[in-house]
Amino acid sequence: MLGNIFRKRHSAVPPGLVFLYLLLASAPSLMAQTAAMGALTGKVTDPSGAAVANVTVTASSDNGQTRSATTGTDGTYKLDGLPPGNYLVKFEAAGFKTVELPSATVNGTETAVLDTKLEIAEIGNHIQVNKPTPGSEENLPNAPSSSITPPSLQDLGFPAEQSQGNPREQALLDKRTHMLKIHQRLGLITTIPLIATVATSFNAGGKSTSTTSRDLHTALGAVTGDLYFMSAYYAIRAPRVPGTETRGPIRFHKAMAWIHGPGMILTPILGAMAFEQKSKGEKVHGIAAAHGPVAIVTAGAFGAALLSVSVKF
Amino acid sequence: MKKTILIFALLALSTLAIADSQWVLQQCTLTYHVSHPLHQSEGVSHAARGKGVCHAGQCDFLIAVPVKSFDSGDSNRDLHMIQVTRGAEFPMVVVRTRLPESDATSATINADLEIQFAGQTVQYKQVPFKLVTQGGETHLTGTIPATLADFKIDPPSLLTLPVKNDIPVRVEMTWRPQ
Repeated sequence: MLGNIFRKRHSAVPPGLVFLYLLLASAPSLMAQTAAMGALTGKVTDPSGAAVANVTVTASSDNGQTRSATTGTDGTYKLDGLPPGNYLVKFEAAGFKTVELPSATVNGTETAVLDTKLEIAEIGNHIQVNKPTPGSEENLPNAPSSSITPPSLQDLGFPAEQSQGNPREQALLDKRTHMLKIHQRLGLITTIPLIATVATSFNAGGKSTSTTSRDLHTALGAVTGDLYFMSAYYAIRAPRVPGTETRGPIRFHKAMAWIHGPGMILTPILGAMAFEQKSKGEKVHGIAAAHGPVAIVTAGAFGAALLSVSVKF
Repeated sequence: MKKTILIFALLALSTLAIADSQWVLQQCTLTYHVSHPLHQSEGVSHAARGKGVCHAGQCDFLIAVPVKSFDSGDSNRDLHMIQVTRGAEFPMVVVRTRLPESDATSATINADLEIQFAGQTVQYKQVPFKLVTQGGETHLTGTIPATLADFKIDPPSLLTLPVKNDIPVRVEMTWRPQ
């Protein structure tokens, strides 16, 4: 039966054509065998010198070609079939810091040896959701395969400045957030004496002659001012992140600062003038009469700034 | 002669059939949702890139997106999100999955996702996605049930009130064979 099939096929296709097909089909492997290819091998160990298994070793050439392998239980790996040249070699494993060796030379005549020691990662744990106990990655359906080269981050062509971590920028952001948190808390606390100051203003001004009410209003105003400027200090001194365009409600929040900031300077000055005039038994007059309206506008701008970042309009 | 050409073509096709195939992410929209007692916020990114490599009936997919590319419409909120997610130190969200090549013709798939984000690697099992194939392109939609706790992220707070732990990420992707 098989002989008949073979004879039929043999009679249908000219032998020269079959040979041509086989030649074409095997051409890539023949070329690979004839070209001078190099290899890279080595052993990966932990700080104690013990072999580390399941380390993903990725070699990236200058022209963007990558090849990966995973270390075995003895910590060894081998990347073969590498065209001669310089390679960036990356070692990645869960629980360890990623190691990048920028220049490993591979030539076509001998196997290059590249051993590496991995450091334990201080941050960046490996956890798994919806799985009762942590298991080895080989048992997962999406575990990296040893038979094919899965796509790597380098394949996606992100620019280095986008894909590489920047601890200094992270530290800057941490400091910024820390200072703005203090700004936010002090700002919230400021609202308490601010409201109290506005509430006591009704008995401190106008036709009232009570010095107690005036003193209480002044004291509350002073506390408000102190807290306000402490809060403002943390907003002004918080580090700026270069290249960040201000968008959204924070623009309104910052715009309001141009009203309540000068208002918080002007209000106590006008208040001191009004206090002096009242203490002399005079009716508040001249520029000091603007104390009340300026204070109201200032308090209003402060409240609007607070609401702009608190409630979504 | 025609018969010979036909056979040769069939033989050539059989060679192609066993070769690796690749997919490329043509378009992607990722949207995270954050809930706060005073706010409902969403951050959107269109900057994801992805690639799939198929071999022996299995496809390995890799999708990556810069953390900084998420835009919630508020630069201050975005900077806080980058800070709490340690986006400057770990600038990429990387998603890996392996799927059978035959899933490309299914209406729904359940994918096991491995997500690297904020210095953590977390696996989400059996995340459902809907598939629609049209004009040679495959559109996927689904939601990743991510939480802040999964990635050990301290919930950001506003007016001393922290956001909720759940940050579901809606995924809309269009893949095409390369």
